[in-house]
Amino acid sequence: MRPSDVKPREGEVRGTRFEEYIIHDPLPEMRFTLTPEVIREYAVSIDADPDRPFALPSVLCVYLMAVLYRKYPPAQGGIMAANEFEFHRTLPADVPTAIVANGRIEAKFEKRGRQYIQYSVTFRSEEDGSLIATAVNTSTFPNEQAKAA
Amino acid sequence: MQRTYTITQEKIDRYGVLNGDRDIIHYDLDYAKKRGFQGTLAHGLMVQGYANDVALAMYGEDWLTRGAIKVKFVAPVYPDEDYVVEIKPDGELTATGPRGVAMAGTATLRPVN
Repeated sequence: MRPSDVKPREGEVRGTRFEEYIIHDPLPEMRFTLTPEVIREYAVSIDADPDRPFALPSVLCVYLMAVLYRKYPPAQGGIMAANEFEFHRTLPADVPTAIVANGRIEAKFEKRGRQYIQYSVTFRSEEDGSLIATAVNTSTFPNEQAKAA
Repeated sequence: MQRTYTITQEKIDRYGVLNGDRDIIHYDLDYAKKRGFQGTLAHGLMVQGYANDVALAMYGEDWLTRGAIKVKFVAPVYPDEDYVVEIKPDGELTATGPRGVAMAGTATLRPVN
């Protein structure tokens, strides 16, 4: 399953306005299967070795924004400000792994004329519920575009 | 440990195809310039991906189960430029391009439980 299969894309629908983000709002559960093809394509895309027996754990980055965008579609022109990941479990590269992602809005704030959204995501194995990774992302979306949409 | 990465529009496009990202700030030069940037922007998580691979090389397979990476994107990363991604022994992480540091943070191992 590719990220584009589960991710609303910029420009498809009206971007979420800053005032529409609700702090501590849970994000809908997202289930996806990480495939050997995506693991390999990710490695190639960041100049890494595509033939390792395990996935580079940051492959989950390509699914991260989808967790937010499925409830809060993005305005065009978004810029990432900060990101955190902690990895807990090895992902094999040769077999698919079914993953369940959950998240919530953690904060929203304004700084130097920009409006920031911060949200967290937890990735777990669908098979046994074990923790795979956690992430916290902070991004900003253009004020004028969101207001004009 | 450090590695140098050359950013190209082709790499930005390729990451966007995988990422499912259609944000025009990565692809539309005119739009990016209207926003005040010199060029299209590389995906932040693509640049962070480079750092993850450097961290794997530095920490070995412990990175897969104990890795912790925390970054701020402090300046734009543009195509047709080289960026040095460096992780120092204490875990300090930087990605440095022609205008200075573009990404800064830490890449460390959590303690063994």
